[in-house]
Amino acid sequence: MTVARRWTPGRILMWLVLLGSAVASVFPFYWMLNGTTLNPNDVLRGILAPGGDFLSNWKLATTTYNLPLFFTNSLVIALGTVVFGVVINSMAAFGFEKYRSRARDRVFGILLLTLILPQIAVVIPMFKMFSFFKLLNTRLAIALPSVMSVFIIFFLRQNFKLFPTEIMEAARVDGASELAIFVRIVAPSMRASFASAAIYMFIAQWNAYLWPLITILNDAIKTLPIAMASVMQAYTIQYGALMVIVCVSTLPVLILFLTMQKQFVAGLLGSVK
Amino acid sequence: MALRGAYERYLNRFGWWCVAPSVLFFSIFYAYPILSSLYYVTRRWKGATNTFIGLGNFIRMARDNVFLEAVGHNFIFMIIQVPIMVFLALLLAVLLNQGIKSFRGGLRLAIFLPSVTSLVVVSVLFRVLLQTNGFLNNVMLGGHFIASPIGWLSDAFWAKVTIILALTWRWTGYNMVFFLVGLQSLDPQIFEAAEVDGASKVRQFFTITVPLLVPIILFSAVTSTSGTMQLIEEPNILTFQGGPSNATMTAALYIYRQAFFINFDFGYATSMSYVVVIISGILAAIQLRLLGGERATR
Repeated sequence: MTVARRWTPGRILMWLVLLGSAVASVFPFYWMLNGTTLNPNDVLRGILAPGGDFLSNWKLATTTYNLPLFFTNSLVIALGTVVFGVVINSMAAFGFEKYRSRARDRVFGILLLTLILPQIAVVIPMFKMFSFFKLLNTRLAIALPSVMSVFIIFFLRQNFKLFPTEIMEAARVDGASELAIFVRIVAPSMRASFASAAIYMFIAQWNAYLWPLITILNDAIKTLPIAMASVMQAYTIQYGALMVIVCVSTLPVLILFLTMQKQFVAGLLGSVK
Repeated sequence: MALRGAYERYLNRFGWWCVAPSVLFFSIFYAYPILSSLYYVTRRWKGATNTFIGLGNFIRMARDNVFLEAVGHNFIFMIIQVPIMVFLALLLAVLLNQGIKSFRGGLRLAIFLPSVTSLVVVSVLFRVLLQTNGFLNNVMLGGHFIASPIGWLSDAFWAKVTIILALTWRWTGYNMVFFLVGLQSLDPQIFEAAEVDGASKVRQFFTITVPLLVPIILFSAVTSTSGTMQLIEEPNILTFQGGPSNATMTAALYIYRQAFFINFDFGYATSMSYVVVIISGILAAIQLRLLGGERATR
């Protein structure tokens, strides 16, 4: 089979579709990056050549708009969620997969139901609950509800299926406790799956909107998405500084994606395996 | 034998200890809220006090045009945006997989890139790009494609188009990855045989590729549908609080605004969220049945 390399109308159309999609996908990234160097008016008009306002935009973003505080809040909350989340979700996935019992299978079935549950259905009673315990408007309140993730348990369980039970049996014969089997033998060999789960949880929490929007009541604990949303509600918007915040909040995820593409995509595909 | 029984019980106990923390979190952050909202739906909040009103919230809902239209908007976004995006993602996957030999990795990376942005960032970017005196209008005016600026954010019709544009930009590359993986699992000999039989590329796409990828197409449709039922960032930030005058109001945004912005009536808001849960459940059941049916016939 040889592919005809002539420029037939079909081939030209195909390249137009592909290049057009690629340009449309990448252009907003260039535009927001370039926007950090422009004055507000030029951002709006969409000037494509770099300007000279980067330093003043950066200064505005880091002082008036409190960018370092919001960045730290986002980072602390996301990392905390990931650390606790990976531990309890992987334990649960391990328990459900390697110690099967009819009762636990039934519990897992109930957990799976929450995958189709819209978030809006739980946030109102959750708001009442947190306000009852006087925990609203705390970093803990933002993080706690997303520590347990049924999707991550499901994803890790699929991966634990691939771990041979015979190895666990052999370790038992050698006198290893069940906990030691998990911590010393199973977990280290599943590092790639743990990385995928961690990346997925980090991004979900880093980008979270609805629950933080409800539970955050003042500037001190705002996360980046909530900070951006409130900038957008101001009467006059400093577009250049806004573009700085947008870039800073996209950068960590972009770096995670570019450096760990394999794990990133594995986490994304977890659900079709 | 007794010893074996004791060992089994030890393993079983360990199994419970493993799942216990997650089950506890589940009970607090899922089970309790869902069960307690059964109490909320029967009550009406006025300030700090609330009274029992039976099914009153549901009667009010049936007459609440903003809510009914909001649910309608969710369906409009779903019915128009999901097919456009799935088709585009499938087309791009096929072109990348079978059409070209060079620049494949670079193009795939470029088209996937929007998936790294948060929904808030997408909304902010498009809100600025699509201002009436903004970039897109300037370009289109400059190229004489339009005679006067389009009200991307201020016109009831165009605001809906704007949401669909933003959703398509954000999610097409994401869905494309699923199709690329699916395409790689197909046997190239099928296509070679079709080629020998003289089937055109377009015909191969519709008679071979699409039917073989039906499970993945359905998977992508299921997740996208449940996503569009939950839309909140885009109408709240991109078209600003479901505007212009509720033209892009969605169910989730309306519920949020009823509970935390307008009336603080948690009873009414919870009742509406129950309806959204039921709609999502029905949609998921229909789609899972389609998926299951497809598996059974293979």
